[in-house]
Amino acid sequence: MRNEHMKAVNEIIGAVVKNNISVAAEKWLEEFSQAQDQATLLARAFVMLPRKTGKLPVAISEEQQAVLDAAGFGYISSWTIDRLTRVWLLAGLDPGDKELLFSSVNPLFLSAEVNEAVALYSALPFLPHPEIWTKRCAEGIRSNIGSVLEAIMENNPYPAANLDEAAWNQLVLKAFFTEKNIKLIVGLDQRANLLLALTLVDYAQERWAAGREVHPQLWRLVGRFINPEIFETLKTGLQHYNQMEQRAIALAISQSDYQPAKDYINTFPELKLALADGSLNWNSF
Amino acid sequence: MCCSSSIERDKAMMGEPEAFDISAVKGMKFFDPHVHMTSRTTDDYQAMADAGVVALIEPAFWLGQPRTGLDSFRDYYSSLIGWERFRSSQFGIKHYCTIGLNSREANNESLAEQVMEILPLFIYKEGVVGVGEIGFDDQTAAEEKYYRLQLELAKEAGLPVQVHTPHRDKKKGTQRSMDIALEHGLDPYSVIIDHNNEETVKEVLDRGFWAAFTIYPFTKMGNERMVEIVKQYGSERIMVNSAADWGISDPLAVPKTAALMKMRGLSDQDIQLVTYNNAIKAFAQSGQLDESDFNAQIDLTEKFEGNTILRGGQQPRPDKSSIIIS
Repeated sequence: MRNEHMKAVNEIIGAVVKNNISVAAEKWLEEFSQAQDQATLLARAFVMLPRKTGKLPVAISEEQQAVLDAAGFGYISSWTIDRLTRVWLLAGLDPGDKELLFSSVNPLFLSAEVNEAVALYSALPFLPHPEIWTKRCAEGIRSNIGSVLEAIMENNPYPAANLDEAAWNQLVLKAFFTEKNIKLIVGLDQRANLLLALTLVDYAQERWAAGREVHPQLWRLVGRFINPEIFETLKTGLQHYNQMEQRAIALAISQSDYQPAKDYINTFPELKLALADGSLNWNSF
Repeated sequence: MCCSSSIERDKAMMGEPEAFDISAVKGMKFFDPHVHMTSRTTDDYQAMADAGVVALIEPAFWLGQPRTGLDSFRDYYSSLIGWERFRSSQFGIKHYCTIGLNSREANNESLAEQVMEILPLFIYKEGVVGVGEIGFDDQTAAEEKYYRLQLELAKEAGLPVQVHTPHRDKKKGTQRSMDIALEHGLDPYSVIIDHNNEETVKEVLDRGFWAAFTIYPFTKMGNERMVEIVKQYGSERIMVNSAADWGISDPLAVPKTAALMKMRGLSDQDIQLVTYNNAIKAFAQSGQLDESDFNAQIDLTEKFEGNTILRGGQQPRPDKSSIIIS
């Protein structure tokens, strides 16, 4: 099922690639795809690829965009052609020999410059045998380079589908720390969990103690797990002077089943009103 | 150490800048027990020396991106006790280091195993005043494994431990670091818990550990917050460092914080303890750090393996205000 679906997506991406590169580059890619020893040729092809394709933003037809949107990969329209072609190149590697696939792709990570690293992490959802890349993905989250983190955290379905809870929580926490666009994390709500909620509550307290603001999206991941201890922190937040944080906490509480917190919200007329008229949602922040 | 915090917004929160007036702490001596000089320039060394920094500790850490082989670790450790120590000496600053496998790279287990094998070759060297910086980053099982192994190494060598506490999930990470150190039978008085903040300091001090604070713009402590902490908790077992590295950081964080403490009315004795004496006392437990070695004569003709940072004919202190570089 997954294979058929991804095959169709790869075909569309292949068509987009061809529309965006020169005849010479197309011929070069064709030669690579027909080579017998792809595994040995991969490293050089992957590294020199931008010399062949250029680095312009991709142009996508409306029709192609609609198909990609439907498949959940519409976001690739914001990529440059070298990034897209690199991902397509990796996605097309022979899935038959798992060991060989790993031993030819893994070294690319070890010597990657920034654009290569971005393309490699962007390729994770397109690679066969997703289970062999979980450690690599967790390692990528340790990067300090903004664009590499964005490639992993934003618009990338791989982490939510494959990472264990510890690595997933690290991704979300680091996204807050490095101020990534939280709304672009795929699977954010589905993978919310108690441990993450507790860690985020600690983080919020630490920010307040340092006189700093707390990102409103943080409370989105806390609402479902409110317990007496978390409730105490939420009370602090509601009394804290920051309307945006108050509203986010109120929204989180409104989506929880924790009655004492719901009752408490009703003692704030402004928040009660904002919730009642339905104008608050997580896109408001 | 960060990549993309909202610097503009945090700047706005800092209000009107106040000039650093070194005269407030003129004549005082400082010890920076955590600064990554391999990432800094000779201008930084000069400025530190001018501001009264007489000695420092450079903990082994990661280089901003992961190393891929053992030789990179070996060369790095060698540079801490070799070239960097020499470079520092040319500015009259006594350079010590701590050696260890940092938490992030502990997650590469096959490489970490190899690093553990060469660590004993380095930790017994002269001027190595501890095992560090080690501890937790993501708080994974691999990080815990190598933290424990290195605690054992420190215990065996009779060295203090410099513990890095995580940026994320700091409170729990700090508690866990202390629990594990005690579990391995380390005396909390030989363990320096680094990168504390308002949320962690009380427990660290209550349990008998040393509490180090990193004054680092935007992502860690600001020095105004540091002043308040010393006002509240006193000066016992507290120390200040810069952790200056390849990120936006300040190698003058220790003298600047001392100056601010002076301006905000802390006693000279408290200031001296948190910016000089306490760190010396903690790391001198290694038997490798002696205050009497600090003010060694600067020998500008000394060479390290035939090299010197002073190229032929260059004056020790170039005139930075001149457009001519001669």
